[in-house]
Amino acid sequence: MTDQITFPDVVQWAVPFFIAAILAEFLWIAVKGRGGRYETRDAVTSLIMGAGNIASGFLLGFIAYGFFMWLWRITPLDLGTSIPIIILCFVLEDLRYYWVHRFGHRIRWVWASHVNHHSSQHYNLTTALRQTWTYTFTFMMVVRAPLILLGFHPAMVLFVGGINLIYQFWIHTEAIGKMPRWFEAVMNTPSHHRAHHGRNARYLDCNYAGVFIIWDKMFGTFVPEQENDRVDYGLVHNIATFNPLRVAFHEWVGIWRDATQPGLTLKQRLAYCFAPPGYSHDGSRDSSAQIKAKHLARHPEDLGTPGFEQTRENLPNSAAKQA
Amino acid sequence: MPLEILLVLVVGGIAGITLLVHLTGRSQRCVLSLETAREQWVRHFPEDTVIDVTVAHDRHAALVRTENGPGLLWSFGADTVAQRLLDYDLLDRTDGFEILFHDFGTPKAIIHLDDLERPHWRNLMEPA
Repeated sequence: MTDQITFPDVVQWAVPFFIAAILAEFLWIAVKGRGGRYETRDAVTSLIMGAGNIASGFLLGFIAYGFFMWLWRITPLDLGTSIPIIILCFVLEDLRYYWVHRFGHRIRWVWASHVNHHSSQHYNLTTALRQTWTYTFTFMMVVRAPLILLGFHPAMVLFVGGINLIYQFWIHTEAIGKMPRWFEAVMNTPSHHRAHHGRNARYLDCNYAGVFIIWDKMFGTFVPEQENDRVDYGLVHNIATFNPLRVAFHEWVGIWRDATQPGLTLKQRLAYCFAPPGYSHDGSRDSSAQIKAKHLARHPEDLGTPGFEQTRENLPNSAAKQA
Repeated sequence: MPLEILLVLVVGGIAGITLLVHLTGRSQRCVLSLETAREQWVRHFPEDTVIDVTVAHDRHAALVRTENGPGLLWSFGADTVAQRLLDYDLLDRTDGFEILFHDFGTPKAIIHLDDLERPHWRNLMEPA
């Protein structure tokens, strides 16, 4: 196996572009008077979260990289670093991203890391930088294992992963409406990703794509942005803090408090850690399915529209009953 | 990229953008009216039916009574946040109340109330 392959750390090199693009978006909004909103403390929190994400990469990145290099040493396969292999790696890495992102919304342990990215009520280019500090603790690096065992060099996998993240930066904007139809059909776009950041019942748990929206269409999680249902950004229960430490760790603290409360069975404690967000042992909280069911009870006219394709009979029993 | 340059870019970028956003007037807190407070509460708790709304004189907070119990809505930057008044401690301040929510993601709210408002709000929040 060839260990000595290097690729540039593209995310670090993109930092000047991030700053320039934020300034450009800000000026666009200021001049045009539309296309998004900026608020000082929200933007500062997002930017500090971005800086902390880079710092956590310096501090904890060696754990994932050590794991990848160990996999690379045990795999007998080496696909090399030709251009077609890099392109193939990029596409498969994007598929990996889709699933990790989906796990990030459906498994509370992973959501605890990802939630901070959704914690702003704004949606602008600074929101893109509101990134996790605790990804290493989710152990989601194991989802990259198949790529490396198939013979894609770890440095190449991390390189295309970096390009994937840079692509996702520019789609965090309200300044761009809909792109040409062919582009919207294949690629993740500002419109698709706005829907993903919505706390409206319609948009919960949709559009997990990184670069190619086709994964959502393949796996049944695609919901197009609706003109008659403007995206309301943020969390179902918005947090009330701009403190980056609280933003980074609030869901981990929530898991700890929930899972260690007295009188629970082991299964209930594990469910507080790993069940979808919204689980509660006493039914006092709502999962996304229950939120959608309750919305349909209030707005039956939405049944069958994007995001509400499921009939109430197809919803989980508890969700339908609660609605 | 050399670490020193990365540091300068990150620190300079954050400072520059912060200054720009603040100096162009984007640090204003959300101002509430009876109507916006009601709308914002339903945005946070769509299943609630609002009975009545009391907006603080400084227009940065509102006490909302609903069929599911009372709640507090307050300005959070240009937006709002809301919390049901279920599990909280209320501390008196000379300029209003400090409300502690026992929630790591929503630790507290400081509500500015004048002398006339304070007893009225306390009655609404903690009915005898």
